[in-house]
Amino acid sequence: MSDPDKVWPTGLTEGEAEEVHRNLIQGTQIFGMIAALAHLLAYIYSPWLK
Amino acid sequence: MIYGKIWCVVRPSTGIPLFLAAVAIGSFAVHVALLTNTTWVKKYLNGNIAVAAEAMPAAPAAAPEAPR
Repeated sequence: MSDPDKVWPTGLTEGEAEEVHRNLIQGTQIFGMIAALAHLLAYIYSPWLK
Repeated sequence: MIYGKIWCVVRPSTGIPLFLAAVAIGSFAVHVALLTNTTWVKKYLNGNIAVAAEAMPAAPAAAPEAPR
């Protein structure tokens, strides 16, 4: 993993792989935030746990 | 970013749909489990019907016939 220009079996370089991963993590974080908000609203407006 | 190099050995066209499907199936399973194992989700989804049915007492017995 020393040559940054090496093309790996998936056809990506390390930099490209990192870029894919950054976007995946960001998407996961946004999904998580929306889900947390939805759960908060469900908790407020439904008899959840009451 | 930690673990970013996974995409050097797992094709994103395989790994990303797999990841998204795992998230979708997992969250769906949790919600189905809640729906089938608790009473309050069903009740909440039924809305006012369930509330009205619960609040309404049993129908009163028919009044005795008035004397003629």
